[in-house]
Amino acid sequence: MANTETSLKDAAAIDGAVGAALVDYTSGMALGTIGGSKELDLNVAAAGNTDVVRAKVRAMEMLGLGDEIEDILITLGRQYHLIRLLKSQGTNGLFLYLALDKDRANLAMARHQLKKIATELQV
Amino acid sequence: MSPVAAPPAPPVSPMLVRLAAEKATGALLRDHGTLYLVDGRVVHAESPAAPGVDVLLTTGGRLPREGWDEAVDRAGAHRAVGRFLVDSGRLHDGELEICHLGAVFDAAFFALSPTSGPTRFRYGVGHWFGTVRPVSAEAVERETVRRRELLDAVWPYASVDNAPVVPRPAAPGQTVGARQRALLAAADGERTPAELARLLGRPAFHTLLDVRRLAAAGLVETPPEPAPDSVPPPPLPLPALPVADPDIALLRRLRDALEAHL
Repeated sequence: MANTETSLKDAAAIDGAVGAALVDYTSGMALGTIGGSKELDLNVAAAGNTDVVRAKVRAMEMLGLGDEIEDILITLGRQYHLIRLLKSQGTNGLFLYLALDKDRANLAMARHQLKKIATELQV
Repeated sequence: MSPVAAPPAPPVSPMLVRLAAEKATGALLRDHGTLYLVDGRVVHAESPAAPGVDVLLTTGGRLPREGWDEAVDRAGAHRAVGRFLVDSGRLHDGELEICHLGAVFDAAFFALSPTSGPTRFRYGVGHWFGTVRPVSAEAVERETVRRRELLDAVWPYASVDNAPVVPRPAAPGQTVGARQRALLAAADGERTPAELARLLGRPAFHTLLDVRRLAAAGLVETPPEPAPDSVPPPPLPLPALPVADPDIALLRRLRDALEAHL
């Protein structure tokens, strides 16, 4: 069964991956990170993207669609940032965060792989 | 020229930094909690202010209480309760890690809160839960500082942290999320954030953060900071006007901030 370390390693092995983090979006804490660089501080990215997720969750509740967010894609000039929410039993939401190099990544494949990793982690 | 870097902040606990450097094993006892180290890395933390792993797992219904008790009975003596929960099929590997890490950082935040009390270290003392995923002392320090800053960035009035949570009526059109709604529903005007955390089976820091967010939105009372020498005047009764202004939450925040400064 997947643990956080193998999940992050699997995420880092996705083509074009620059870094990945498992984030608790109530507190903004990265429970684990892998990769990253001077330009991409994953702890900062974790806390910052928490606000993105919280804002979207709030918007969804206001819309009252009765649906759930599966993932969020943010497209930069040189990178893709993918956020995959985990379905958790508890009240503390988690998401997997994956930064990809746009030139080397296959977006559709990366989304599919990240979904698989999230499913295995949340079992 | 690169800008001059700010001087590094003083460590939250100089003793923790030193113990990490010497790769110490044992228990660091502070006023508000205990940190357990193995080879200088943090493997467990406990604080009376934070619900333990048992509460987080059983209150949410993830694990029946008997399942937890049996794991403690059978594996507590070998300091491998966490391992036993996984090996006996009660929890998945990832779940255990996520829940345990959450509990460790939560308790560490309170254990490392500023204190004037003594700090002691007992070499060789371990915890019966056992090692799940050690984290560096540096990561614990960094996260504790980040959490303090986050709380103050949300609503810089620590008076809400330990006071009973008293809900206030929502402004017209004001909405809150499901998690905060459950918190408000449990707030009976007497329970403190720590008591609400235990009742709801949530980490105490998460509850504090929600309470500060709710206070900032005007949905929870912000008690006045204890004044050094003067008794705060009674709050002026405000007429309840049927205002449908979407900025009412902002106005309430302003008023609360002004009152807190009185």
